[in-house]
Amino acid sequence: MKGWRRSPPVRRAAALLSLLAVWEAASRAGLLDPFYAPPPSAVAGVLFDLAAGGDLWPHLAATAAAAFAGLLVGLVLGIALGFAAALAPLVADLLEPVMILLNAIPRVILAPLFVIWLGIGLASKLALATILVAVLIFFAVYNGFREVDRRLVERVRTLGGGRRVLIREVYVPSVTSWVLGSFRVAVGFAFTGAVVGEFVASSRGLGYLLQFAQSTYNAALTIALIVLIMAVVLLLFACAERLERRLLRWR
Amino acid sequence: MLRISGLAVGYGGEPVLDGIDLEVAAGEFATLGGPSGSGKTSILRVVAGLLEPLRGTVELDVGSRDVGFLFQDDALLPWRTARQNVALGLRIRDVAQARADEQADGWLQMMGLAGYGDRYPGQLSGGQRKRVAIAQVLALRPRLLLMDEPFAALDAIVRTRITQELLEWVERERLTVLLVTHDLEEAISASDVVHVLGHGPRAAIRASHRVGIPRPRRVLEARGHPAFGPLLRRLWEDLAAERMPEPAPS
Ligand SMILES: Nc1ncnc2c1ncn2[C@@H]1O[C@H](COP(=O)(O)OP(=O)(O)OP(=O)(O)O)[C@@H](O)[C@H]1O
Ligand SMILES: [Mg+2]
Repeated sequence: MKGWRRSPPVRRAAALLSLLAVWEAASRAGLLDPFYAPPPSAVAGVLFDLAAGGDLWPHLAATAAAAFAGLLVGLVLGIALGFAAALAPLVADLLEPVMILLNAIPRVILAPLFVIWLGIGLASKLALATILVAVLIFFAVYNGFREVDRRLVERVRTLGGGRRVLIREVYVPSVTSWVLGSFRVAVGFAFTGAVVGEFVASSRGLGYLLQFAQSTYNAALTIALIVLIMAVVLLLFACAERLERRLLRWR
Repeated sequence: MLRISGLAVGYGGEPVLDGIDLEVAAGEFATLGGPSGSGKTSILRVVAGLLEPLRGTVELDVGSRDVGFLFQDDALLPWRTARQNVALGLRIRDVAQARADEQADGWLQMMGLAGYGDRYPGQLSGGQRKRVAIAQVLALRPRLLLMDEPFAALDAIVRTRITQELLEWVERERLTVLLVTHDLEEAISASDVVHVLGHGPRAAIRASHRVGIPRPRRVLEARGHPAFGPLLRRLWEDLAAERMPEPAPS
């Protein structure tokens, strides 16, 4: 059996493990200062303590709730605005410049403003996650509408289809495939929005923990939290990908 | 069945067609030939109501719902199965779902695609997609069938077979047909009359030739008819005379 050596996931896992091993060995040999770069075993220990002590879960739940709500509200808002702009030129004239501007800037710079407006609770990080997602989805919908295959529009028209049939049979599926194409990025954005919102100012959540770890110069905790956030995002990506594949079966 | 008079078409700027007169009698199989870019597709699009003419009129003896348009490419709705694609026009005409699906399956079977109803267009070959597109149009039982180089992308054998199937359907339904094609042999073997469109700008119908081969026809046998060769030569000459002007030597 030689096959497993060629399988990319196995090779990647092996590469990652050897990297960790080198890191660990370097730490043990005294080549790395544990204050700045604690060994993987120490990071794992911190992670284990966090999880076992039960301190972690309320924070994870707070971040997940904000991210999930932001994803949902952002999707609804982005889809609604995207359709409105696509169907009404007046709305497009109004929205497009704002959206282009919001799309061009790193939207996380709005975080302090949301904190001033909405306080340090759920509302401000929800707002940040929402706006990150909404702008992305707005363009997916708006472009999906404008880049719709003209040939399909003509085909349905010659089959006798009017505006309603066109929207149902051509526009909505076309827009759906664009939105799903952005869905994974949207999930990542929602999480980014929640964590950054917490990082700027909050009293709970993974971003809050991260802020705490940084202010106490706790490198092991910081790395542990980064690893945790990566794991959560990867898990969400896997879920998003499954959903994508289900809904885009026809590809 | 169809009368086009004084038709002018443009896309902004100079008109690409002007003063086109063309008549297709009920039950006639008419072919429109002409060099690339002469405006054949534009004429069909005006007849199908997809394009507003600059001037001129298009008179139809049937309603727009009785006009079927078979496009050059075989773009089907990629997110709908073959069956759903064929049933689409029926559903638009308020045929109940179950009945529409049943009829769609019947059409797929007729096109030699029994058992392919659940495939998505991406899972079909080019020739199979073409046949789904034909089923989609014929399922609506049009009285006038417009076809824009429907078989250009197919290999010779599939092409001959599909043409034959279509001819049989045309005979059975006494369909009126306006076919656009580059393929002169296909034009002669299928049609009653071949119109040749001249090269633009401001192209016009330059010649119309009756095809003296009796109907119903079989595609392959029509090619052996004594009238076939001489007509083919005349059409070649017409088209050669309508070539794009050569660029001036420098
Ligand atoms: N959407 C468009 N916008 C601008 N010009 C167009 C458009 N469609 C066609 N034309 C122009 O109109 C003329 C006629 O085009 P048309 O497609 O009707 O030609 P055709 O005879 O069907 O050519 P072919 O045999 O290559 O399909 C061409 O010169 C073409 O460049
Ligand atoms: Mg054309």
